[in-house]
Order: sequence, then structure tokens, then C-alpha cells
Amino acid sequence: MDIDDILAAVDRPDASTPESAALDHQLLTRFWVAERGVSELLPWPAALMERMMDRVRNQITQIEDLAASSTDPMSASTTTNAATTNLTLSILQTDLSRTQYLIRSLLRQRLSKLTAHSMHYLLLISRQSQQPHPSSQSQSQDSQHQQQPEDSIPAPPHPHEPTSPLSKEEVSFLHAHQTLLAGHYGASFLGSFPPQLRRLDDNAGGVSMVQGPEEKEVVFVRCLGEEVRVVVPPGDGVERETLGTTMRMGDVWAVRWEGVRGAWGRGEVEVL
Amino acid sequence: MAFPLPRGITPPEISFLAEMEMVTILPRQRLEGLELLGGPVEPLLPPRRASLPLWLALLLKRQRRANILPPPWLHPESLELILEIETKDDDYQHVFSPPPPLPGQPTPRDRRPPTIRSQYTPSGEKYHPAPPFLPENTTRDHIPPGEPPALPFHWLEVGTMLLEAASDDLVEPDQTRRLLKELREVRMAKIRSGVDVLDAAAMGGGGVALTGVGAMELGEGRRFIAGVVDGLRRIGASKEQARREEMAEGMANGGYDGTQDYEDDEMEF
Amino acid sequence: MSYYDIDAILTDSQKLPCTFELEVPGLGILEGNPGENIKAGTRIDLPLWLGEMLSIGARLGTSRLVTLDLPSALSERVMNALKADPRTVELRSLAPHFYSLSERILELFEEEEMVEVLSNTFKKRSAAIADHAHNPQGALGQGADFLRGLDETERQLFRVAHDSAKETRIWAGEAKKK
Repeated sequence: MDIDDILAAVDRPDASTPESAALDHQLLTRFWVAERGVSELLPWPAALMERMMDRVRNQITQIEDLAASSTDPMSASTTTNAATTNLTLSILQTDLSRTQYLIRSLLRQRLSKLTAHSMHYLLLISRQSQQPHPSSQSQSQDSQHQQQPEDSIPAPPHPHEPTSPLSKEEVSFLHAHQTLLAGHYGASFLGSFPPQLRRLDDNAGGVSMVQGPEEKEVVFVRCLGEEVRVVVPPGDGVERETLGTTMRMGDVWAVRWEGVRGAWGRGEVEVL
Repeated sequence: MAFPLPRGITPPEISFLAEMEMVTILPRQRLEGLELLGGPVEPLLPPRRASLPLWLALLLKRQRRANILPPPWLHPESLELILEIETKDDDYQHVFSPPPPLPGQPTPRDRRPPTIRSQYTPSGEKYHPAPPFLPENTTRDHIPPGEPPALPFHWLEVGTMLLEAASDDLVEPDQTRRLLKELREVRMAKIRSGVDVLDAAAMGGGGVALTGVGAMELGEGRRFIAGVVDGLRRIGASKEQARREEMAEGMANGGYDGTQDYEDDEMEF
Repeated sequence: MSYYDIDAILTDSQKLPCTFELEVPGLGILEGNPGENIKAGTRIDLPLWLGEMLSIGARLGTSRLVTLDLPSALSERVMNALKADPRTVELRSLAPHFYSLSERILELFEEEEMVEVLSNTFKKRSAAIADHAHNPQGALGQGADFLRGLDETERQLFRVAHDSAKETRIWAGEAKKK
């Protein structure tokens, strides 16, 4: 075991302390900026979001309790007290709405990435699941005849299968969204096409209908680790990852997202 | 559900982020400590100074419940010095003046390796704090002699907001405002003239350094820079592919040792 | 190429000169003679997608149906003009999707020097675009001629540069919303 791992086990903050609230707030903020900055959907931070939502619920209760006590004539004894309570209330409310803004913006950005590349993400999560998905491959003449746009949508993974980078809720949203969309396409124009032209995942003519996000897009990052190498992922016949330029602590760089995705996952760079 | 914003945080969002910067205030009334979603807030006990996030400091300032102490860099003297580095220093004709170092990061003057004291997240990953969560805008009791003033990442946002809401707390606000404007123009020109080296970021494994850039400056330039790099990448795609295929051949023949560098491509604005 | 990208689709229909190597029965419709044969040696402009498809044989080394030539927008004359002064060439009148077309052509032809010339052109013109976009009167006055000559990629670049500058001015309180 690495000394760092031992320290990590000791230093791991207790989720109930005020300091851990500050850390989670920083993590959420950093994640939001990254999600806003990169082309692809980032892995859903489930544990962080659960802790955040717990705290938001507590905060709402606290505000409600305080508001109730301030209008209670028995406890609001002096006017100075009431003024302080109002100030505290407005601070708590501002703090709450700032956090809610972060969460809402994060979710909306994610939904917009999901709907922009819906088939890509549906195929991505269905490929991770073990079940063979019924669509696309070898279909009988008979079902060819009944072919509808909805048939190109892969089945969602079973409840216990991994869905990364999507959350469970996002999986069910995306599946329902794409089914509705395919049904709408079918009813409004694809239905009048020959059955073999109704699919939404066609490859004919060398152009795939399924489009993923551009991973070569440039992002702006700050190097947080001592030294980070930009990488070139395998491809074009080169079978392994190769190393590129070196970033040093505190540097800000414009680089391809695919070149720093690994370093981002390790917390060695942050997206700006 | 349409999401109207372009990719990469926009000026209002950058401003929102800058409001998380900690500043120092002089409270004019007492207030118990609070536990906020953004972290704990220390009790306010006049005349003791306190450090608060900027949004809270501004809320108190607008209600005349506190005065904000300007950060050391937001002072005409400091700004003049920084402006001089940005315009007159030969080393910084095309790049930004150096930003405040991250915790543990060596300054260019002391040649020692970084001393990073890692923090950990609840899931056990390393966490290195960075702006807006560093004390880059709080007052300091002691500034080591010879330490040059530096513009923090959110300089333009913090400066602009303090000028707007707390100009009576600043030293020579008009002079400060003029210097901020001048700095912004000098630095924006550097971003625009940096187009020439952007091909370094268009190749796989390459990149362009923008160290010292401010958050709002990045917000203003990011979509343009990304657009130029993207265009250059497309024009050079066939050439890059040919280069990769050559490399693959070299690797197959055992000619690649895994340490190939693109150091030549390294460029700075 | 992107399936849903309108600019990619429009690029696909830009024409390039093709020379038929073989006589093809019944394909006369391509030069406006339906029902006729097309003769070997015939030179006509075909949309990129069609020319590319017909030239595949040539690239596989089997019998070639057509050979492709560089489109006039990327001719040596244009390259020389771009080398002399990238800012004065009206790319839009050469091809509305000048760079997208180049990108596709460079996949078909090995033209190392063209990559250099085009990269340099794009950089020089981008710098000029940034200057125009930053100036609140960017699209007016002497800049108008240059801006009229921008191709589609450059127009989008001008738009993001202009919008970003404007959003920042709005944030700073120097400009009004809308």
C-alpha cells in the first residue's frame, strides 16, 4: 500500500462536518465548470450528488424552521433579534439558491449533451451491459417489414448494470426521450419511407447516423499536479498511448480534451 | 429542453464563480457563525476582521453592515507595478505576468521542487485546491519583502465588483479603475496577437500555454481560440494522420522508444 | 463528415473537375445528354460526393472510372495569391465552404504544401477577424470588404469572437443587453 493511500484513508473527511461541506461545494463547483467546458458527458458523480442533495434538504428545513420561529410572537422577543434573524434568513436563502443554481445548470448542461448525442450514449451504455440487445443484428424478413424507427433504439441496461457516464435517472430520461422522438419521426415522415430506410443508426454510404461528441475539441486546463504530460490516445495504426508536451504546476494550457482526459480523472488538471 | 448557453462558462457564470473568492471584511455588527452549503462562516465580532466569500461580503456591504478591505493587489501601487511588467519587461512582451503561485508551487525565484500537501476527497482521491478557493483576495498581515504583486485568476471580476459596490472602501478608486482598464486592454491585445502560435495546440499531444490568463479574459477569448485551433486541426488532419501512420510503422520496426516528445511544439503566447 | 451537419452536406455538393477514363454507357445524363454514353476523356464538374465515389476504383488500383483534379478554388493560382497576401483574397467567391472543401480535398490528394499555405492563411485571416470583431463597428467601414470575403468557417469564427466580446462588454456594464 502506498503511503498516499494510507494518508488518504486517514485524511478522508467525515461527511457530516462543516469542513466537508466546504470541500463538497468546491468539488461540485469544479465539476460544474468542467461539465460546462468539455464536449462529452462526464461520469456522473453519484456519491457527491447524494451528499449535496442531503445538505440541500437540510438547509431547506433549517430555513423553514427559522422562518417559522421568526413569525412566532412568543420567540421573537426583541426587534434587534428579529432583524438579525432576517439577515440570517436572507444569507441562508442566497446560499441555497446559489447551490441550486449550480445543480440546475449542471443537470441542464448534461441533458443537452445527452439529447444532442442520444443514440451515441444509448449505444455506449448498452455495449457495457451483458445482455445481447435485440435490435440491429440479423432480423427476419418478417420483422424487416414491420421495421419502425423505434427498433433502432437499444434496450436500456438492467437495473443493476453499470450505466456510466449516465446516472440511472438520466438513462430512463434518455430512453424515454429517444423513444418519443423516434415515434414522432415515424409518424411524421419516416413511416412513409421504405422499411429499410427507417432506422436511426444507419451506416450506409460510409456516414454513420450515430454521432458522438468531438473528443479532439480544445479545452482550457490548469495543471494542479507537479508535472502532467499531454497524451495522444491510440489510433491511426498507433496501438498505444504516446506522450506529448509537458505542463507544470500552475500552468494554464489550451489542449485537446482527449489529451488530458486521463489527467482530469486523476485530479491532476482542472478544466477552466 | 433547450439549454441556451454555449460551451464553456460565460461572463455571468464567471462572475458567479468569482463571487466565491474569499475577501476580508471589517464587520459593523455581530452575527453568529453560520453553516452554509458553501462551508462554515466564522462569527462576526466587530472590530475583528473576518474572511467571507465575496457574495456574502457584498450582501453585508450593500446593507452597510460591513466594510470590505481591498485585497493587496487592488491598489494603484501594485497595479502600476504589474502594468509595468506587462508592458515593459522583455520577458513578458507576449505572455501574461506571472499569477500567484498555487499552494506548494515554487516561484520562479526559488528553485525547489513543489511541496504539495495533498488533501483528499471523501472518495479518497487527491484534491488540489485552486481559485476561487484560495486566499488570493484576502488581506495579509505580512507580505515577504521582494514578493512581486500578482493578478489573481479572478482579478477583473473581483476588481470590477468591488469598484461598483465598495468604491468607498478602496484606495483611489478612479485611479484603480483606470489601471484595471489599461491592464485589460494590454492583456487582451496579447491574446489577439497570440493567434500565430495556435497551431501548436492543433496537433495531437501539443498545446499552447496561457499561464497567467484571467478567468474573464479566458471567457472572452475561449470560443475564438477554440475555433481557430479547431479550424487548424481540420486543415492539418490529413497531415497529422500521415505522421501518425509513419510513427506506427516506426513502432512496428522497433524504432519508437515511448519517450518521443513534442517539446518543439511547445509555445507560449 | 457529420450526418446532421448542414455545412458538411453543402460541402459535399461542391463541384470538382473529373475526367472519365472509360466510356460509360448511359451516363450521358451527367453532361446533359440523357440516354447517351459518356466518352472516355470527357471532362466535367461533378459534385464532391459523386466524384469521390466514381474515383474509388482509381484509389484501389483497379480500373479507374474517373480521375479527379483539384477544384479551381484550390488551384495553384489561388495558392500563390494566398502566399502573397492571405487577407486580400475573397475566399467566399472561390467557395462558400472553402476550408471544409479543402479538408475533404486534402483527404483525397497528398498536398503537403497546401496544408502549410492554408494553415498560414487561416491564422493570418483569423487574427484580422479578431481585430474586426473586437471593434464595435467591426462590420462597417473599411472592414466590410474583408468580411464579405469570409468563407463559412470564418464567418462562424467572426460571430463567436463578436458575441464573446459583446457578452463581456455587457457584463462590464459597457454595453446594453440586446
